[in-house]
Amino acid sequence: MIRYYRLALAAHFRQGRILYFLTVLGVALGVAAVLAIQIINRSAVGAFRGSVQAISSDADLSILGKSGPFPEEVFLKALDDPSVERAWPIVRSEVRVESDSGSFFLDIYGLDLTAPMRIDWRGEADQLGAALSQEGWIAVSTPLARRMGWRAGDRFEATLGVERLQFRIGALIDIQRYSPQASSKLAVMDIAQLQHLQGGRGTLHQIDLRLRREGGAARSAEPPPAQTLRAARDRLQDRLGPSLQVLSLDDRENQARDLLGAFRLNLTALSLISLFVGLFLIYASTQASLVRRRAEFGLLRSLGASRRQVLGLILGEVTLLALLGVALGVPLGYWLATLRIDLVSATISNIYLLNEIESVQAPPQLLATAASIGVLGALLGALLPAWDMSRRHPRDLLSAITLREGISAATRPLAALGLGLLTATGAWYLAWGQGWKPAGFVLGIGLLAAIPMASPLAVKAICSRVRLRGFGLSYSVRTLSLQLQKTSTAVATLSIAVCMLIGITLMIGSFRKTVETWMSSTVQADVYVAAESWRGGARSDARLSDDLVKRMADFPGVEAIDRLRSRQVYSGPFRIGLAGVDVALPGGEQRFPLMEGDMDAAYRSALEGGVFISEPLARRSGLGVGDPLPLTVPWGEAKLPVAGIYYDYASERGAAVVDWSTYQELFGPGPPSNVALYLAAGIDAEASAEQLRQAFSEYPLRFNSNRRLRRMALEIFDQTFAVVRILQAMSLLIAVCGITLTLLILARERVSELALYRALGARRLQIFAIFVGKGLGMALLALLLGTIGGLALAAILIYVINRDYFGWTIQAHWPWASLAAQVASIFAAALLAAVYPALRASRTPAAELAKDDS
Amino acid sequence: MPSERFGKRNPSRSPGCARRRPWVAAALLATLWGAPGASGPPFGDDGWKKASPGYPWSFPRDHWAHHSYRNEWWYFTGHLRSAGERKARFGYQFTIFRIGASPRPVDLDSNWSTRSMIMGHAAISDLEEGRHYFSELVFRAAPFLAAFGAPPDPLIAWSRGPAGTSQRWELHWNGQGFDLRAVDSLQGLEMELSTTALKPLVFQGPGGYSRKSASGQGASLYYSMTRLETSGRLRLGGREFEVEGMSWMDKEFSSNVLEEHQAGWDWFSLQLDDGRELMLFELRDRQGKVDFGSATLVSESGECAYLSRGDWELEVARRWKSPETGALYPVEWNLELPRQGLRLQLRTLLDNQENRSRIIPSLFYWEGALELLDETGRRLGQGYAELTGYGDGSRPPI
Repeated sequence: MIRYYRLALAAHFRQGRILYFLTVLGVALGVAAVLAIQIINRSAVGAFRGSVQAISSDADLSILGKSGPFPEEVFLKALDDPSVERAWPIVRSEVRVESDSGSFFLDIYGLDLTAPMRIDWRGEADQLGAALSQEGWIAVSTPLARRMGWRAGDRFEATLGVERLQFRIGALIDIQRYSPQASSKLAVMDIAQLQHLQGGRGTLHQIDLRLRREGGAARSAEPPPAQTLRAARDRLQDRLGPSLQVLSLDDRENQARDLLGAFRLNLTALSLISLFVGLFLIYASTQASLVRRRAEFGLLRSLGASRRQVLGLILGEVTLLALLGVALGVPLGYWLATLRIDLVSATISNIYLLNEIESVQAPPQLLATAASIGVLGALLGALLPAWDMSRRHPRDLLSAITLREGISAATRPLAALGLGLLTATGAWYLAWGQGWKPAGFVLGIGLLAAIPMASPLAVKAICSRVRLRGFGLSYSVRTLSLQLQKTSTAVATLSIAVCMLIGITLMIGSFRKTVETWMSSTVQADVYVAAESWRGGARSDARLSDDLVKRMADFPGVEAIDRLRSRQVYSGPFRIGLAGVDVALPGGEQRFPLMEGDMDAAYRSALEGGVFISEPLARRSGLGVGDPLPLTVPWGEAKLPVAGIYYDYASERGAAVVDWSTYQELFGPGPPSNVALYLAAGIDAEASAEQLRQAFSEYPLRFNSNRRLRRMALEIFDQTFAVVRILQAMSLLIAVCGITLTLLILARERVSELALYRALGARRLQIFAIFVGKGLGMALLALLLGTIGGLALAAILIYVINRDYFGWTIQAHWPWASLAAQVASIFAAALLAAVYPALRASRTPAAELAKDDS
Repeated sequence: MPSERFGKRNPSRSPGCARRRPWVAAALLATLWGAPGASGPPFGDDGWKKASPGYPWSFPRDHWAHHSYRNEWWYFTGHLRSAGERKARFGYQFTIFRIGASPRPVDLDSNWSTRSMIMGHAAISDLEEGRHYFSELVFRAAPFLAAFGAPPDPLIAWSRGPAGTSQRWELHWNGQGFDLRAVDSLQGLEMELSTTALKPLVFQGPGGYSRKSASGQGASLYYSMTRLETSGRLRLGGREFEVEGMSWMDKEFSSNVLEEHQAGWDWFSLQLDDGRELMLFELRDRQGKVDFGSATLVSESGECAYLSRGDWELEVARRWKSPETGALYPVEWNLELPRQGLRLQLRTLLDNQENRSRIIPSLFYWEGALELLDETGRRLGQGYAELTGYGDGSRPPI
């Protein structure tokens, strides 16, 4: 049998090139989608881990503030603990470097360079003195230096808040040799130097700890046993109090993973849909190829081959094809990941404030998993047709009559099953699923499973109702129901892709519109000012100065000024952004559109020490107006009454806003990081921003008019969804291949029928049109089914998954233009997909009439 | 790795004898801070003062730190006996190293602003129980961690204790000698000792200028107090002892101790029962050959005789291999100074007196108590030895 398999294989592959190609393509695209997303996900966490390891490689635990920097005395407290063998203080700063080749943020770590550490940041021998005493001494990574053309001894300028800082490159460190995933935009200075530059005397951002090893393990690079680590962590946590957190490297990585959790999960789910669509393609192509070869299987069975042997033969072939698909899909997925990594990286650094991804991580296990998914998926897709073929009687297989498709009778039960499944998941959701976060995905799966089940009935019901009006489009569509098993598979495949396309387009469109509306209400000031080195999201310590703020307030045309300070803090278990603003600003109520709470009462409460919380935070914490919001502050925990809940789309993690005075009380006085200027009526914001730019040109500041700010925000929004669009396109591509495949099968199976038409006088063009009509008919059916499914999917995405994972209220919106464009592109794709099979069909000579319709 | 100096100790009352030992510290530092090999040369143009002859000594001021020199250390070793029921005997070492990073004051707006680091080593050898205890610390000299004092404040240096402990280490000038204190509750080690000089200090080399190589590139400023009457308290593994005995103190500062080709040293401070003291060091090159040596013999009245290689014969009689580091250390020697008619057997009182740093894994050296015997086995005195640069992976000192 194996010998037969070997001999027959090459011949089959030659004869059925297109079919096999499509199977391979289905596997390749499915594997590529899954792999690309997994690579991206992994690289995002890898970038974080890499940079953490570059700095904290010797550490077992890290102490971090729950509300930003913490007093240096904590260092002494940590050193006193008997389990601690070493402690390293760390301060951090993010500065902006402007260069001819673009600008970037440089993540500077201030370390105790006198302490022995694994990665020697001091560089060449005898740099310690310079590192400690030469102002601006900094060690940068070799890759960055290469990119920037820097050499040791060179100087560069960077900005931090309103300051321009001068750095002198004292050492070049190849950090990626120690930690390959580490960001190249990571630099190190002595802790005293960095504190001096940032004016942050007396506080630290982090303390790394190495725990004492017992006896001979003193020099061990091995981490301490998990139990020891946990015990030490817990004891230190108790000792240091709730305003600090003690975390292991794994804890920190898990935090980053959690931070990206919703983002990663959604990408993974979408990639699985691509895979799912790919499986349909495999199913259809396997079925087609088997039907074509039924006589061969009949012969084999007659010659004594068992069912199992036939099944094995078929699955063996599929495995081989799947392996080919994997061989294509793995490099394709890797290529896709590298192609899009910059977009994901921008999202991760802009929205989630994690390290940019600089390199793509694809460890062998990941590739192996993707390959297994490809092969198993292909076998799964092929199993049904293969099993069907192997169980048939040899007599049926050898019969000259076309095998009747069994599906025709099963359309109703199948559709009922699909509907039942959908109803069951819906009912389950209503009854039990609502408190469970992944419930939305269960609903989605139910929907995506119901669509293919309903396809045969839909195709049959609709097509059989089409009245025949000659040998044209109506003929094309009506005859679709005659080869139901093939056409309904193609329709189902395309429907799922369309469903995903429409559902996601609706969701993104609605979301975008909601954000636009929200911004037009909240972005009220005319000109927004921040330091160039300021990064959204409250991590940055780039501050303006009080003097500068006063000068801006006095600037001609400025009527009012709003200040903002912000930082990341913990509210119970939630890490949120907390901002302080001038709540009492006249007319400033729209900045925080309330979804709950009386406007006047809310603002009064906020002025008396209350807090506005964002909708996602309210959903996550379950807090309502009047409830106390716990906040970890440097001296312990504060509880502020919730004054109101406002719509916010800037952070899914949650955000809160207090009055400027409350913020100063909680975190001490300090200048704002951002100000918003309100201009007198009639003054053009754009022109005014330009005047301000010129008047303050000696400072590294950004002045954005409100229009520009909104545009920039939407650009970031679009960037966030860029990867999703790629997945949509891939699913659509796979689905359209399904159309080509189906039409090719029809052209092949119906050779005698086509020959008959030709013999009866049908012109080639007519046959061509019939086939193109079939393609368009299938596209139309898929659009119909897919649109219905897409609406449902959009509802699930907007009202269930989005709320559970992000906590936003999204107003439904119909992005007609993009929907229309997508419908047009689906038709165009279907048309293109039909051309080749139609050409083949139209070339069928009348002489084929005499042959079997195999 | 240990740094240390070689040759160290020599007492004498008149300024004038030279001595050894600075190397240990320097070596340690170099390995620690990745500036190995930087021992040598470009001093002078890097802002650090070079050790040179003619230094204008002034005491007691010179007992405190000299920040314009790169490295400095205060090195105490001694033999102690408990006064209580159990007649326990101990050897001890207490060392404070100053490792300069910048010859100029550093004034940054930060509590971490510093121009030097402090490293402390403390060891006790329980000669009855046969156990050796070692503790260490390394901190930057920043206000809340560690600092060097200045006269007239008697505090010469202090540091917070090793990580995991909370008590300070301190070194004071008490007018007659030094008071020192080291505590490491985790190692179960504590010493609080007060010393009084019985003999005047001696210079290790003419004018306190001590050469460390034939070329004269390596040198230090170096003096010793060779007989310090010592009393105080030791705590070891939960047991406390009132102790008394005799110590030796080396103080050395320099910016250029070892040369590139020098890999380690054997250094001895010997107190003879006849009232004399001998400091002797031999520096080895990377092949293990003795590269340079120097010695100072201090008479009972404190006069120094400076000796050079050729004036003595030192022969290893037994070696001991460290089970921890694999380093093979000499632990018994025969020493002969023919011109002085002095023949000594130097014998360790405990084989395992190896100090192994947990902070700097490549730093390990042997520092231990010796007894001095004649050929018949009669006791002639006591001493201390420091052996560095032995074992694979032990980075060459400086």
